[in-house]
Amino acid sequence: MKRSFRVALLATAATAFLAGAAFADDLVTKDRVGPADAPKTLTLRITGDGPYSNEQAWADGYTKLYSDFIQRHPGWQIKMESMSQNIGQEQARMLEQAKSGNGPDCGSVDSFQLALFMNAKVLQPLNDYFTKEEIADLFPFVRDGITGPDGNIYAWWWDTDLRVLYRNKEIVADAPNTWDELKAAALASKEKGMEGLLVNGGRWEGTTFDWLANFWAQGGELVDASGKPIFAEGENRTKFLKAVNYFKDLVDSGAAPKRIATIVNYDDFNAAAAAGTTALFIGGNWQLGQLKSALEPEEFAKWTFSPIPGPTADQKSTGTGGWTFAAFSKDPEKIAMCAAVIKEIYSGEGNALQQQLPTSKAQFAKFDVFKSEANQAFAAALVNGRARPGVPIYPEISNQIQVMMGDVLAGTKTPEAALDAANAAVQAAYARL
Amino acid sequence: MSVVQPAIGIERSGAARSSLRLRIENNPFSWLVPVALMLGVFYLYPIIDVFRLAFTNATLLGRDEIYTTATFKALLGSPELPDILMTTLVFVAASVIGQQLFGLGIAVLVMRGERRKLKGMTALRTIVLIAWVIPGIANGLIWQMLFSEAPFGAINSVLRMMSIAPVAWLSDPTNAMISAVISNVWRGTAFSMIVFYAALKAIDATLYEAASVDGASSWQRFRHITLPQMRPAILVNSILITIQTLNTFDAIISLTGGGPGRATEVLSLFTFNAVFRNYDLAGGSVLSVLMLVISLVLALGYASMLPRREASE
Repeated sequence: MKRSFRVALLATAATAFLAGAAFADDLVTKDRVGPADAPKTLTLRITGDGPYSNEQAWADGYTKLYSDFIQRHPGWQIKMESMSQNIGQEQARMLEQAKSGNGPDCGSVDSFQLALFMNAKVLQPLNDYFTKEEIADLFPFVRDGITGPDGNIYAWWWDTDLRVLYRNKEIVADAPNTWDELKAAALASKEKGMEGLLVNGGRWEGTTFDWLANFWAQGGELVDASGKPIFAEGENRTKFLKAVNYFKDLVDSGAAPKRIATIVNYDDFNAAAAAGTTALFIGGNWQLGQLKSALEPEEFAKWTFSPIPGPTADQKSTGTGGWTFAAFSKDPEKIAMCAAVIKEIYSGEGNALQQQLPTSKAQFAKFDVFKSEANQAFAAALVNGRARPGVPIYPEISNQIQVMMGDVLAGTKTPEAALDAANAAVQAAYARL
Repeated sequence: MSVVQPAIGIERSGAARSSLRLRIENNPFSWLVPVALMLGVFYLYPIIDVFRLAFTNATLLGRDEIYTTATFKALLGSPELPDILMTTLVFVAASVIGQQLFGLGIAVLVMRGERRKLKGMTALRTIVLIAWVIPGIANGLIWQMLFSEAPFGAINSVLRMMSIAPVAWLSDPTNAMISAVISNVWRGTAFSMIVFYAALKAIDATLYEAASVDGASSWQRFRHITLPQMRPAILVNSILITIQTLNTFDAIISLTGGGPGRATEVLSLFTFNAVFRNYDLAGGSVLSVLMLVISLVLALGYASMLPRREASE
């Protein structure tokens, strides 16, 4: 009797578990979270940071987070809209849709494009959903980035990232601190059969963003306080050319292969590290986790990172990016639901799941994963962090820097001629804005 | 009576159907209007709107539009445009010539193989067609892996094994254009092959028999029978693939992104960048109008060379 009771109990528990699991799965379908007949609907447009992530661990983690979330918010369903990898196009499309009143209720906005959305007046203030303490605890560049001219916050910047210099300790023992030291280390690595330093140099945003650290480290400014491009004027011009010549010299001297002019993806660095063909590359903090997954433990142990070298040891900078969530709907209930998605799924839990750097000191302290040595080092490096200027002309400045870099690295233009061409194009575009 | 009644009913309904058909045939508007409406909404309206936007200062950034010709002047007078047009000309001309030559070569090969009843001709046609059905973005990515200049890049690895120096397929501006053309020819050859294969099938076999009787060589048969007979097909194919290549940007964006510098930035990619990277809706519209004009001029040029049908035909 006792045995049959135990069996029955076990069977009931197993059924309940399976039913629960099935229920959770049912709540997160291909394009919806929550029951299909729920009366209230929130349309949510996200990047790969969600239940449909290509990283299985992230997909599983977000499926659980969304499933738990929707059970805490009965009566709601979330219609999920996924962005493709072509982020620039996706953001432009979302901006256009939002302007015509057809945007999602809530959506992911790339941090450097947030100002464009704010200027277009398509976002709703989120002040009521975050305490003053929470806002004050954000890193200054994050707080500035989400605050509109009227002092309201128009998004929540939930994760950030930064660029560092990765190196294989077995080949490059000491962290290079200056441009000269990096060049010497890269040339030395070539003598050990490596390619030299790898950096982004092709036609994409990463090229501009990673290179800007060298311009910013000297105190260079792309635009003035009014948003006017000034990178080719006065001292900025000198600093700009110095940073361009630094990259040109890396290629001309052989410290970096000419093929960097074709690199348009951080994954190329992971591939080179896995193939054992490079010992130095400038990449994002998120790549540490990717290297850990891609390399054998003994190989991964050889890799470490340090701040991006500057022209001198005390002149350092690094680009910081990341993603925000913003509310497009004017319905107060939907704005509140959007804020709830941010607070309950992404800001904190999502950071910990993806090991994406949080945007406030409190979050770093809250989750054990960010107490690791590596993440503490990333947090410390954020001191030198700098976000791209949130001005409408930035995309064109970036585009022209990419063109300029290709022309200089391929040797089709001198740095001076390439800068003049870039400036002429940017100023013409600025005049039309 | 009971037999006659249904027959009358059938006759009546048949007469009614015939009358309806006549009415429809006599009033073409009734069936043309839905088609015209569809074409108007989905094809004509966007074109008209592009023309309208070209005469504004519209951006995706949310300011009020004003009507102006300044965008036209700025874009058509921009110092980048001549280089972009030259890059486009080289890319389109090389791609069209390459696709036609390879398409014709493969079509002739398949025809000859079929005439000799060789095995594997269907497989050959299928293999060529596989490249055609691959999306542009995937095509670019495939060739990016092949042309990769990393030590583990596919083509360069093979060259190294053959003790040949690796080639800067994508980082050298000239080679980057050649690489972009190769990838586009690889993808587009199948379309030309299908058109030419159909045209070759339609050539009257007695022409070749008569030529053989007269002692014509293979080259003479090709030069004096095949090519003249295929002229309409070659011209129509030229129109189609020129316009298609002019609009190609997906394969380039994933292969080179338009770089290094602007070495492979064709007009369609320049237009895409204007709208989706610089948010310049009016500028993108001006460039779209320019592309439309170029396509129309080229199409009319080709069409004027098409043989005209005789009035009696």
